[in-house]
Amino acid sequence: MTSLATAPAPAPARATRRRRRRNLTLTIGIVITAAFITIALASFLYLPHNPNIPRIPDRLLPAGSPGYLLGTDALGRDIFSQLMVGARTSLLVGAGAALISLLVGTVAGLSAAAFGRLTDETISRGADIMLSIPGMVTALVLAATIGSGALTTILALSAFFTPSFTRVIRSAALSVTQEDFVIAARLYGRPTWFILLRHVLPNVAGVMIVQFTLYFAAGILTEAGLSYLGVGVTRPSISWGMMLNEAQQQVGISSPLAMWPGLAIVIVVLGLNLLGDGLRDVLDPKLARRSS
Amino acid sequence: MPIYIARKLAFFILAVIAASIAIFLLIRGAGGNVAAVVLGKDATAEAINALAQQYGLDRPMVVQYFDWIGKLLQGDLGRSFRTNESVADLVVSRLSISIPLCVSGLVLGLLIAIPAGTYSALYSDRPLGALVALLSQVGIAVPVFWAGILLSLLFGVRLGWLPTGGWTNWDANFWGAVRSLVLPVISLGLILGASLTRYVRSAVLDVMNQDYVRTARATGMTQMQALLQVGLRNAALPIATVVGLQIAELIGGTVIIETVFSLPGLSRMILANVAAREVIVVQSTVMLIIIFVMLINLIVDLLYGVLDPRVRLAR
Repeated sequence: MTSLATAPAPAPARATRRRRRRNLTLTIGIVITAAFITIALASFLYLPHNPNIPRIPDRLLPAGSPGYLLGTDALGRDIFSQLMVGARTSLLVGAGAALISLLVGTVAGLSAAAFGRLTDETISRGADIMLSIPGMVTALVLAATIGSGALTTILALSAFFTPSFTRVIRSAALSVTQEDFVIAARLYGRPTWFILLRHVLPNVAGVMIVQFTLYFAAGILTEAGLSYLGVGVTRPSISWGMMLNEAQQQVGISSPLAMWPGLAIVIVVLGLNLLGDGLRDVLDPKLARRSS
Repeated sequence: MPIYIARKLAFFILAVIAASIAIFLLIRGAGGNVAAVVLGKDATAEAINALAQQYGLDRPMVVQYFDWIGKLLQGDLGRSFRTNESVADLVVSRLSISIPLCVSGLVLGLLIAIPAGTYSALYSDRPLGALVALLSQVGIAVPVFWAGILLSLLFGVRLGWLPTGGWTNWDANFWGAVRSLVLPVISLGLILGASLTRYVRSAVLDVMNQDYVRTARATGMTQMQALLQVGLRNAALPIATVVGLQIAELIGGTVIIETVFSLPGLSRMILANVAAREVIVVQSTVMLIIIFVMLINLIVDLLYGVLDPRVRLAR
């Protein structure tokens, strides 16, 4: 904590540069994220080819072949159509896991901040315990015992993301509950749930949005990993991680196959991370100054 | 200090107990009739009952849980249903791959992150500082297995310098084993390094804004001298915590990287045994990994208490 007197205001040129960089980050993040969501949704309306039907005569075509924008895989399936359906999976699993964690984490985090020492200790220590369990190992055990698929993957990811949502929202809520307007509301006789919804929630909304965006990205990364291992999404659904698994078996023959799904993951995750960072700068200036 | 240690120890024990119950329920609760699955479709009812009896699978869950935990405490991890090998032997043979992989990946990650993060914190205005920040931002978005695939494409397939996968034992061919680990370690280290760089950067930034660094600068030290003599010692604490937390991530990365390079390590063993419904093997191995991660976090916490008196005196 630096006091006002010791932290000199950044020189104007520096502040401008920082603001410009911030706007750039946010813009790139928004553009990539919007493109990603558009492609995922468009895949429901239009696909160049059926991504699951093999066409052996057309196998392993290079990118730019007539009718196949990014070429075909070892069974002659169109890569671009597979990427489009893969975007759908990433969107569903990433956003689904982040959303569930957000809902559970918000309830748990607000409760920990509002309902006294015992509740706080129980929830916080529980979150600590869950955080120290390696997510990947347990997620693959979970996927294997209750069966793989998008829903299992979402549940497994939610279980591992929720504790960090809880911690972040708890600490944001704790600082809000010290504010005068919350104390005033309490003295006025407002019930706790009312104070939480009316006064605390809107003030931690920024933190919630940032956290959601960053874990949306983390969810996409982890889902790709699980699907690569063969315990996430399986055909007829398509995941970028699964495509990389299939591509690796052909790697000696056709390296472009291993490029496209990986690039898709990197671009989308980068976009979401930039969006999250940009939003944090806008919504939570206190935090941004420390980490910028 | 004794109170601080006692509190941390109590939490560690509580965490291990909670995790063991969770793992047990997760694996057993969803597993159905374990003996029937292990023996396959053609097994007779008698064979299934015999196996269930032999391993005590027909007892109530609570009894089985305490039996498992009791033996675990005595160092008995149980045996495989199919091959009757002891889990401890299975684990130890795999650790000769997983431990060097994990540790070298972590060391490489730190060797990248500490200089890179420090540089980009001090010189964010220079082109190289901005480049480091950009690279770490991109590196965080790269899935570790894609890094592995690309590296094996380049150095294994295209250039033919290093094996794309597979394993020769340490005692059979030492340098062969080292060569098999080079690409997996680089993949893990690069990706881990990218995310650690951000933490190092923000820890150093934080420290450089503190009054004691300003005082040091006022005595005539350059920024670098102030950092090395005063700052780094203080930045080390948050970095140590992050490294402790990253251990769980690192193990997740190891699981995937072992698959990319077909290394018969611990996580490949878990994957194979999950598929084969070897519940005891999976249960005990996963529990060992969890205890290991929690132990590292305990050690980090205790070190933190030793290094920073404020931590142990708080509350």
